[in-house]
Amino acid sequence: MKLGSYFLRRLLLLIPLLFGLSLLTFTVSRILPGDPVGLAAGPQATEEIKESLRKEFGLDKPLPVQYLSYIGNLFRGEWGQSLYSRREVASDLKVYFPATLELTLAAILFAGIFGTLLGVVSALNRNKLPDHLARVVVLFFVSFPAFWLAMMFQLVFGLALDWFPIGKRLNILMTPPQTITGLYLLDSILTWNWKAFRMAAWHLFIPALVLSFGALASITRITRANMLEALDKDFVRMERALGMPDRVVIFKYVLRNAFIATLTIIALEFGWLMAGAVLVETIFDWPGLGLYIVESSLRLDFQPIMGITIIYGIVFSLVNIFTDMAYGLLDPRIRYG
Amino acid sequence: MARSLSSKELRHKAREVQWEAFRRGLYRFRSNALSMIGLSSLIILVILAFAAPYIAPYPEDARGKTHVTERLLPPSGEHLFGTDKVGRDIFSRVIMGTGLALRVGIVIIFLASIIGVTIGGIAAYAGGWIDDLLMRITDIFLTVPALVLAIAITAALGKGITNVMIGISLVWWPGFARLTRSLVLSLKEEAFVEAADGIGSSHARILFRHILPNALSPIIVKMSTDFGFAVLTAAALGFIGLGAQPPTPEWGAMINDGRERFPSEWWIATFPGLAIFVMVFSWNLLGDGLRDVLDPRSRR
Repeated sequence: MKLGSYFLRRLLLLIPLLFGLSLLTFTVSRILPGDPVGLAAGPQATEEIKESLRKEFGLDKPLPVQYLSYIGNLFRGEWGQSLYSRREVASDLKVYFPATLELTLAAILFAGIFGTLLGVVSALNRNKLPDHLARVVVLFFVSFPAFWLAMMFQLVFGLALDWFPIGKRLNILMTPPQTITGLYLLDSILTWNWKAFRMAAWHLFIPALVLSFGALASITRITRANMLEALDKDFVRMERALGMPDRVVIFKYVLRNAFIATLTIIALEFGWLMAGAVLVETIFDWPGLGLYIVESSLRLDFQPIMGITIIYGIVFSLVNIFTDMAYGLLDPRIRYG
Repeated sequence: MARSLSSKELRHKAREVQWEAFRRGLYRFRSNALSMIGLSSLIILVILAFAAPYIAPYPEDARGKTHVTERLLPPSGEHLFGTDKVGRDIFSRVIMGTGLALRVGIVIIFLASIIGVTIGGIAAYAGGWIDDLLMRITDIFLTVPALVLAIAITAALGKGITNVMIGISLVWWPGFARLTRSLVLSLKEEAFVEAADGIGSSHARILFRHILPNALSPIIVKMSTDFGFAVLTAAALGFIGLGAQPPTPEWGAMINDGRERFPSEWWIATFPGLAIFVMVFSWNLLGDGLRDVLDPRSRR
């Protein structure tokens, strides 16, 4: 009950934030010195064609009117039309968003597991060789441009070794599992389609792995620092004095204490990774928001860009709210006020 | 009765304490092998950036000179990193791009920290509705991951390296604003602020002369740890095609250039990527070391 009302309050606080965001994206899209109508109409378009296009997209009205109608449409689920493809932005987003979500979820899972493990190992071997090694390795991987690393992985694992496919979510010839959530892995489990599951996982592995590197460093660092802090606590000495095995002390009690901070970082990194997906998707031809925003930004196609930005804002904010709620499950001392 | 110190002696004493703290920090920094490697590598990169026109075998290739007969040559003694699709020497272009990458990082970090520190400092110092307003604006920028918002803003401003720098700075400042706000909030309760207020210093003087200098260490750490990521983000925008336009030797754009011929002519994209890595890795090593020195709680 208490958790429910907390959740509701946080959701309500989200509304002014998203209003602000929509105002920001709108402002950005209207200060553009480029000429999106000219681009969409093509080089041979006459002034009349451009004028009618402007009318069609409502670009001839005063700015406040344009903003209000934009907001009104957002609430009605009409997210505008791409100037370029003439498709509805909302229906495009519905297709592309699950692909990005699946990729990001898989990546944050990898990063969370490896990062936490590396952090635990570092903390238990403080200032010894494994600690130093872990530090260098994570800094090493976080320093590569994600798109470049993606190309290299594609080359090594996709082309040279031929262990993994070089892109896309499934083989071209394969029909995707019946769409329920749009996440191929989840959909194929729900429909007992194991062949699709294997294929989707096989295609997902390398892109998600490359994407996960970006989040490794901070997850490892935070886990390490908080493990060290928790290891210093009196209860640890107490449990050890009682003869509790090290394994239980560390994984059941110390890590649980340290994991709250790790969780915050994982939530923060989720947003970063979802943004990083833009680059990884470009390389692996992954049909998600990333490919969509890159193509739209090169064509100055502003309706999709605004839509994608708002989607990112909504998802990122929701992730933060869920993280705050998860604290309570991990740490009973936290109460929602 | 104890003799009170004159203001001259006080100042001398304060300087002594500062010097001692600096020497200790320097010692800790120097005993950290990784950050020394990062620093040395950065010094080499800076020298490389300045000496580029004299070191690069074909400096004119970075300015757009083409050699049609030497297209797509693999790495060799003549062309260490090979040549691209119009016959330009990639080694020369990578070296000539060092200065640009450094400049981009410096501009972004300075613009972002100036905006962020000012906004965060004013918010915390003024408090009340000004704090609320400024922080809500900050929150709006933080709802969308930096890279996505940077793409949107840069696309709106138009392609080009200057707009990339503006676009990234405009999404990078909220981190600095948050950090500065939290630092100033705790510092403004200190006795020296009360003292400055008591002798009639103006608000601007108290904030910029007394409070912010004391908040400097964590801000510098953030500047150094963010530098690498700013360079990465700029390279990403260049890679997407929103950044420097040809023939500018921008590393991200060079990778994009090599993408269509990857992997058969792998060298076009590979070497600029390695260059980005070397620069970002150096900054990250340096930042990691600085964090240990200036924020002792972070590493035990």
